[in-house]
Amino acid sequence: MQFPLRRAALPAAVLVAVAAWAGFLHVQPGGRDLSFSLLAGAAFGTVLQRGRFCFLCNFRDFTERRDPRGLIAIVVALAAGAVLYHAVVMAWVPQPQPGKLPPNAHIGPVGPVLAFAALVFGLGMAVSGSCLSAHFYRLGEGSPTSPFALAGAGAGFFLGFLTWNPLYTLAVYASPALWLPHHLGFAGSIGITLALCLLLAILLLYFASPVSETRETRFDLPAVTSKVFVERWPPVAAGLAVAAISAIAYLRVAPLGVTAELGSLARTGGTAVGLLPDTLHGLDLLRGCATAVKETVLSRNGLFVIGLVMASFASAYAAGQFKPSVPTKGQAVRGICGGVMMGWAAMTGLGCTVGVLLSGIHAGAVSGWVFLAFCALGTWLGLKGMKRLGA
Amino acid sequence: MEFLIKLGTLAGAVLVAGAAQAAEPLVTAEWVQDNLGNPDVRIVEVSVDPGAYERGHVPGAVSLNWHTDLVDPTRRDIADRESFQAKLREFGIGEGTHVVLYGDNNNWFAAWGAWVFDTYGIEVSLLDGGRKLWEAQGLPLETGVKEYEPSSIELPERDESLRARLSDVVDVAEGRLAASLVDIRSKDEYEGKVFAPEGVKELSVRAGHIPSAVNVPWGSIVQEDGRFKPVEEIRAIYAAKGIDGSQPIFTYCRIGERSSHTWFALKRLLGYDARNYDGSWTEYGNAVGVPVVNLAGTVWTGK
Repeated sequence: MQFPLRRAALPAAVLVAVAAWAGFLHVQPGGRDLSFSLLAGAAFGTVLQRGRFCFLCNFRDFTERRDPRGLIAIVVALAAGAVLYHAVVMAWVPQPQPGKLPPNAHIGPVGPVLAFAALVFGLGMAVSGSCLSAHFYRLGEGSPTSPFALAGAGAGFFLGFLTWNPLYTLAVYASPALWLPHHLGFAGSIGITLALCLLLAILLLYFASPVSETRETRFDLPAVTSKVFVERWPPVAAGLAVAAISAIAYLRVAPLGVTAELGSLARTGGTAVGLLPDTLHGLDLLRGCATAVKETVLSRNGLFVIGLVMASFASAYAAGQFKPSVPTKGQAVRGICGGVMMGWAAMTGLGCTVGVLLSGIHAGAVSGWVFLAFCALGTWLGLKGMKRLGA
Repeated sequence: MEFLIKLGTLAGAVLVAGAAQAAEPLVTAEWVQDNLGNPDVRIVEVSVDPGAYERGHVPGAVSLNWHTDLVDPTRRDIADRESFQAKLREFGIGEGTHVVLYGDNNNWFAAWGAWVFDTYGIEVSLLDGGRKLWEAQGLPLETGVKEYEPSSIELPERDESLRARLSDVVDVAEGRLAASLVDIRSKDEYEGKVFAPEGVKELSVRAGHIPSAVNVPWGSIVQEDGRFKPVEEIRAIYAAKGIDGSQPIFTYCRIGERSSHTWFALKRLLGYDARNYDGSWTEYGNAVGVPVVNLAGTVWTGK
């Protein structure tokens, strides 16, 4: 496929705008982290869009068509990211010391509340058609459902804050933040993470139906341009890119996550109008996508998400995948319902498929694996339920 | 000949003792750069933001965590001698090591660290400007943690004379003890308009300040780039508030950490007899039956 040059103008302008903004932020006092966050978000948005790195679509491809490629990309991202992350953590914390966790790493409390939140998150993914990170990149593709899902997620966060205190005193307070290196050492932590990833990959490939991939043999400018800017990136490349962005983001600023800003907006708004409890027990001490009351307009996570959406729009437009449409009533309802569920779950579970699953497993957190298991179960149940409803 | 050897030994002893006890209060970023490989210098970061040290620190620096390494995590107190000594041994800080502290937020917590070191008999230097200046100058940072040969330093018992206690400040407030009080919090906290700054967890059920305290917010003695203002300027700022070193000075803030920054300026830069009241307003403002000045007349309603 020939790549039309005129389709490159708008995306190029968007990327130049991102770069200029990052440059501007960089020279402000304390702006290095903000600038980096914007650029990391842009890189992440590009990879998500180009690799179609969507937890739900990849899951559905496998359960419905036995196409394992998307899930393999996720498994590659988990395995490679865990190795890179451990390299960072081992430089920072040469010895895992009891009671101490590596700074900022998303090592969340493991208990029934996390498992239930992950289950609800999976259901919400199935209902709304994407996880939260994918809704952000789909916003850049002009998805009619995503704005409703994200608005619903904001409302879901609000509900999450309302139910937080009872859940905290019921179970979260006693849920330990389990970190594999505390129990197995760094080598054991990497070993078991890679072994689990290998097991998942073998299972996926064993149950896969043979995919006949037509091999493009040409390797000239038009062919490569099309491969990079139009076609879906191969799963291993996308997975490795996600892993690298995750580890570099952790090294420089903070673990990847896409819900902190959304949650902060909900919390700040709810607190301002006096509808939320004054104190959310223990919340600000737990590890995960922190939802602090906003103090500044531009936050690192806010810029990360803005960069994600802008870059996703640029790459979708270049690929001819920017297809906005007027939302149907069904899309709006599904978006809002699924969004509310995901928002509640992301608040209660301290993150989503990116903040808890990806950043958690990378860091050697047991919470990441618990989220993976229960989210997958919820998604499977949700997809079955949606089919039965004929949606 | 014997006389010469004795003289040499004496001179050497004086030099060593000098290095150990009379550290310059402030060192510059250039000085730190020149001494990065110096085995007798140990750079220690005390930052508030978790991950600041890990994401990049002055090459070779070690890190002290202000809420576990410098304090007793159970009772509200400075870290006990055994645990602090164990930490210093781990960092290879010996009798003659020149310790240089620095940190984020204008060296707030590095200055608190300097006070804690001082109570255990180790006078340290601060890297003037702290992280802020180091980063602004684009100086190198590294992420790895260097391991040092453990030392066998023996710390003396804590010197409580650098510390003011509740009873001391009440004595000042009620006129039984001649000393000056410096409240380094914001004007609004000092006047009692607010109980605490927005978003902080440590609260007091009374607002205002300790009678006779003067308000010199900590920020008034630092420059835009994070360094302390010139010594004579600092001297004039306090003199204008009647603080001239003629009597002991007690500094306080909300939780006792930021006031160490002012304590450092008064004690180490100006050479006054200054003590840090580490109980600060969270102790005084919650204490029963002590005199309080509340200019704004705010009433605690539990909200």
